Amino acid sequence: MIEREVVIKNRSGLHTRPAATLVKTAARFKADFFIYKDGMEINGKSIIGVMTLAAEQGARLTLRFDGADEAEAEAAVVQLFESGFDE
Amino acid sequence: MPQRQLQENRKESITVGFLFDGNKDRLHLQMVAGSGGLSKEIRDKNVHRPGLALAGYVQLFRYDRVQIFGNTEMRYLEQLNTDERRATLERIFEFEVPCVMITGDNAIDDQFRSIAERRGIPVFRSPLETTKFVYFLGDFLDDQFSPQCTIHASFVDVYGVGLLLTGRSGIGKSEIALDLIERGHRLVADDVVMITRKGEGILMGAGSELVKHFMEIRGLGLIDVRSMFGIRAIRFQKRVEVVIELMDWNENQEYTRTGLDDKTMPLMDVPIPNVELPIFPGKNVTVICEVIALNYLLKHYGYDAAREFTKRLDTVISRKTRQMDDRAIDYFEHDFE
Repeated sequence: MIEREVVIKNRSGLHTRPAATLVKTAARFKADFFIYKDGMEINGKSIIGVMTLAAEQGARLTLRFDGADEAEAEAAVVQLFESGFDE
Repeated sequence: MPQRQLQENRKESITVGFLFDGNKDRLHLQMVAGSGGLSKEIRDKNVHRPGLALAGYVQLFRYDRVQIFGNTEMRYLEQLNTDERRATLERIFEFEVPCVMITGDNAIDDQFRSIAERRGIPVFRSPLETTKFVYFLGDFLDDQFSPQCTIHASFVDVYGVGLLLTGRSGIGKSEIALDLIERGHRLVADDVVMITRKGEGILMGAGSELVKHFMEIRGLGLIDVRSMFGIRAIRFQKRVEVVIELMDWNENQEYTRTGLDDKTMPLMDVPIPNVELPIFPGKNVTVICEVIALNYLLKHYGYDAAREFTKRLDTVISRKTRQMDDRAIDYFEHDFE
C-alpha cells in the first residue's frame, strides 16, 4: 500500500474535466485507489465521488493506492496533480 | 470477507451561530442578547438546566453545555430582589457558558440582558414549552455530534428496506440501482453515501449536499435521477438495513445455499445483516435485490423461510410411516388444468 499527499495546483480546482481525467487514469489500473479529504473517504475511480470532494486550488488530498500495480498507478495519478491537469 | 476500516469522524464542536441558523425556524428562536458571542463553541450534545447553579451550588456546574432557562429558572429569578438577581446572574455568567435558551415564552429584563451582553453570552427566546424544546434541540445536537463516515456504495429503498449495495468499482452498483429505480424503488444516494450512527445501533444514510441524486452510468455519463424519474424515484434519508456485497463469481468460493445462518457484518461497529451476492452476466440481480428486501421483511415480521422449510423437513423425517413419494396433492381430481 502506498499513501501520499498531493496539493491541487490548477486554478479552478478539481472540477468536472480534471475529475474525469483522474478517474479515467485510475481506472486503467487494478489497484484500489482512495482519496481522503476532510474526513471523507472517496473511491478515486468514481467520478461522482471525486467531484464530491469539491477540492479547490491549494487543497491537500491524501491518496492511497493498494494492489499489485500500485506503484504504476501512483506515478500516473501523481503526474496529473503535478502537471495541474494540463490546465 | 475482510472488512475495510472505514474512516469515522465526529464533529468536535459547532458554533452557537450554526445552532441558531439551523434551528431558528424550527424552534422559533429569537435572539435577545449577546450577538457578539455567536462564534462561541458548543462541544457537548447534552443540554443543562442550571437550577442548582442559580441557587448558589456551582460545583459540578455543567457550564459548557447549552443552558436552558425554563419556567422554574425564570420564576426563581423573579422572586429575588434586584441585588440578589444581579449577584446570581453574574455568578453564572462568570463561567464560559456557550449560550442561554429562554423557553416557555418567558422574557428577560434589562438587567439580564445587560449582564449577558457584557459577558458576550448569546441569549435566545423560544415560545416552545421546555420539554418540547429540549426534545427538539437534543435531537439536533445528538445528530450533529454523531459519528459519520462516507462509503462507496449505492443506497436504495426497496419496498421500504434500505439496501446498501457495495462492491468493487465498475461491478455495476449504479446500473443495479438504476434498474431498481426503473421498477419503482427509490434512490437515496449513489457512489458517495454518508452514514451517521444514531443512538444505539441505528445507521442512517443520505447523499451529499452537492451530488444529491445525480449518478454516473458508465458509457453515458452523469444523469439526474430526480429530474428524469421524478419525485417518486428518490428519497433523502433511509435507515441502512441490509448490506449487499456484490462480488465477481468465483467458483472456488462457497456461497450460502440455505440462508439458515443470519450473517451480519459490522458497519461503524453496528452489526448489519449482509448478503454476499456473486454476479455474472445474465444474472438478474435486480430481482434478487427485491427478493432480499422481501425476505428481510418476512423475517422482520416473524417468518423465516429457511427455518420453516427446515421444520417441515424435520416433521417428514420423523414421521414413522411414510409413502415413498409424498406428492403435495393426494389425488388429482378431474380437473386437468
